[in-house]
Formats: sequence, C-alpha cells, structure tokens
Amino acid sequence: MKRNWIRNIIGGLSFTTALFVFQACYGTPQDFGLDLFIEGKVVSKATGEPIKGIKVSAPQLQYTITNDKGEFSFYTIKSDKVQISFEDIDGAENGTFIKKDSIFSMVKDKVYLNIKLESSK
Amino acid sequence: MISSAKRVLFRKFKDFETRRHELNYLFWECTTRCNLDCLHCGSDCSKQSNYRDMPMGDFLAALDTIKNPAKNLIVVITGGEPLLRKDLPECGREIRKRGMRWSMVSNGYLYNETMHNSLLNAGLGALTISIDGLEESHNWLRNNSRSFDRVVTAIDLAANSPRLNFDVVTCVNKKNISELHQIKEFLKKYNVKAWRLFTIIPIGRAPQNENLLLSDEEFVHLMDFIQESRKNDKGIDVKFSCEGFVGKYEWKVRDSFYFCRAGINIGSVLIDGSISACPNIDRSFSQGNIYTDKFYDVWEQKFQPFRNRNWMRVGRCKDCKSFKDCQGNGFHNWHGDKQNVLVCHQLKIENVHS
Repeated sequence: MKRNWIRNIIGGLSFTTALFVFQACYGTPQDFGLDLFIEGKVVSKATGEPIKGIKVSAPQLQYTITNDKGEFSFYTIKSDKVQISFEDIDGAENGTFIKKDSIFSMVKDKVYLNIKLESSK
Repeated sequence: MISSAKRVLFRKFKDFETRRHELNYLFWECTTRCNLDCLHCGSDCSKQSNYRDMPMGDFLAALDTIKNPAKNLIVVITGGEPLLRKDLPECGREIRKRGMRWSMVSNGYLYNETMHNSLLNAGLGALTISIDGLEESHNWLRNNSRSFDRVVTAIDLAANSPRLNFDVVTCVNKKNISELHQIKEFLKKYNVKAWRLFTIIPIGRAPQNENLLLSDEEFVHLMDFIQESRKNDKGIDVKFSCEGFVGKYEWKVRDSFYFCRAGINIGSVLIDGSISACPNIDRSFSQGNIYTDKFYDVWEQKFQPFRNRNWMRVGRCKDCKSFKDCQGNGFHNWHGDKQNVLVCHQLKIENVHS
C-alpha cells in the first residue's frame, strides 16, 4: 500500500523543500506540466474545404502549420486566457484568407478548435 | 541538535522511499550516436555508434507495461545526442499520449529555433543543456571550435521559454574552475535561472586526461563557491549535482540532503534494451532487458542491489561512520570488481579541512 501521508509527514518534518521534486544527477529538472494540448481543423468558410499551409501560432511562443487535411495540434503553456492566431502565409497557394485570432479562457487540459477562415477576395 | 534531528528524519524518509520503490524518473538512452567527441564523455559515444538507434516502438512497448504510472513520471530522453534522431518530436508526442511527461538532456549543438519550436509543440517540458566554461575552455572540453556559439544560441532560446523547466549544467575541471564567477554572470545575462555543477569521475574517456579531475583543494573551492553563491546570489539557483555525499557541506550546496535515488525512483532503458538505473552506472548492474523481459515486472521484482546497498560496505566504505547518510556515495561510483568506491567526496573535503 502506498502510504503517501506518512511519506509527506516524514519528508515535511525534515524541513526540506525539494524532497518530492528531485532530478537525477545527469538528468533534467522535473516538468511541472503546466501546459495545454490544442488541436483542431481549419476550413474555408465559403466552401468548407480544409486549408493546408495555415500558420497556427501562440504568439511569442510557438507555431505550427496545418497539414493537407487542415489539421493541427500542439502543446502550449497554460494561462487564464489563450490566444491562437491563424494566418495565411503561403500567398496564393491553397487560396488566400484573412487572418483570424481565437481567444478563449482555459478550462481544461485540452481544447479542440474548429476554425473557419474567410477568403480575402 | 536540529541538524541531527533533520538527519535522522531524512534517513527515515529514505528508508520509506526505498521500500516504496515508485518509478518517477525513467531515462531512455535512445541513441549512442553523437555529433561531438567530448574529452570527458562517460559513455564512450561516437559519431559511428556500434548500436542502431532504438526504434521508438520498442521503447513504447516497454513503457506500456507500466501499470498505473506515478502521476509525476517523467521520461528523460538522453544519448548520445538525442537531437540526432529525426523522429524525436514524434517520440515525445507518443510519450505524452500515454499521460507521461518528457524532457531531454542535450549538448545543444543542434538546438536552433526550428528545433525549439518543434519540441515545444511535441510537449517538451524540461531541458538540460551543458556549458563547460567560457568559450575557450568549453570548446576545449567539447573538442569542437563551434560548440560554444551553438550552445549559447540554445541557451538563449530555452532560458526565455516560459514553458520549459530549464537548467544548465557544467562539468567543473581544472581548465574552468577559475572561471566559475564569470560563467555565473554570463548565464545570468542570458536569463538562466538554474545552474547545476558536476565534477568529472574517472570513467569513460576521462581517466586519460589529467586536466579533467579536480584536486582535493579544487573540489573544496567548488563547494565554497556553491555555498557562497546560494547564500549571496539570488539571481540564479546554483547547486551541486547529486553525484555524491559532501559531508559538512550537506544542506548548504543543494536544496535537499544527499540521496542517490538510482534504482529506487530512477530507472532506465538503455540502447541495447538493458533495464537499469542512471545511464552512467556500470552496465553490469543491468537488471533485465526489454527484449526478453517485461519492463515493469523487472522494475517491481528486481533492483535489489539498488534498494539494499549493504554490499557497498567494502573497501573505504567498510568502517565509514557516514555510511548511513552516504550509502556508498553515488551508485555510478561503483565499477569494475566493485570492491571500492571510485570517488569519495567526503574524503576529499576531509583531506583539506583536517
């Protein structure tokens, strides 16, 4: 039986803050896991067809590009409000679309976004 | 008085952790290929490894044997140099799909903006990168004239990522020990928040180079530097690695008292499928192999030499009064015929202070 409470009491009484957050001598620190998994699909508002080559980004942090099926997925840092931007960066290839920002409050560890982009013509 | 009570309680805590034997930290030696040829390498890696990279599916099959993984179980990807694997982001995503976290130890040479972005997308949560001195001494140890510039790019990216729990490690040796203050200021300039210092133990390529191993006086200088930094420099968290028991410096150079968790909470899957603890531990301590055994059965049913270290009461450790706290020093200090500990950090300190 995993008697966590005994472990915590003994650990706490020895006045050390790093008892449960250790790292191996040749390893990395722990990951505190404060992230969010975002996945979704980008389609044309006019035709409903998936759009390839859209840059999906968490500004100042990271980005990915939609695949042939308009799909994307990535992990990003968790925060109270998450902003994801969708931007056509390949010119006329795969059509031209107006940039869109999606802002949502973070409630879960994963989110699925259905995004419809308007054509710029 | 308080110090003695803390020490006794900590021994109890270690006993409890040892009996509990929960897997919290799993190394995966995914490749032994490396793009550098470091003078101190403990694993004897090379550009042309004798082993092919372990296929991702083989490792995942081992991972899938873990019943009810601990909530904080992290897979630490190491090598060799993990960034040489083209499927690294895919490996990371597969680990995350299984509800586990992952991190990586890298020399930083290939860690550019594209790689950083790709690994973050795949759920990388922690990262350790090595810098072994200012430019000249780093490139000397890394045996590569471009290594310093490349690693600085990597540090700049990682240190400024709010997602990563990032630290820098330095192998302290005769060439860089006089640069410690300068390295610290350099890291602070790059926004590095955590810096871990090691010494080099005489395994792998290290015994052939006398510039790599610190004298007793130099080792004590290192302890004093860390102690002083922790006391007076709040800009960066400087600590000694958990490579060994440091006697009178315990509580002063780390966040916690010394505890080698190899085989207690730390396991590994090595390049040939061997199941062990930290990758720098003598390979003769292997407890099984993922190609013939179920990984988690081995973790649960074996690992006795790690959990009961009384066999280490030989040689210098035989009559040592600190054995209850030290327990044979870091497990990676037992090689060859295992009749004596390779390095005793406490002895180095006593040689200077007695």
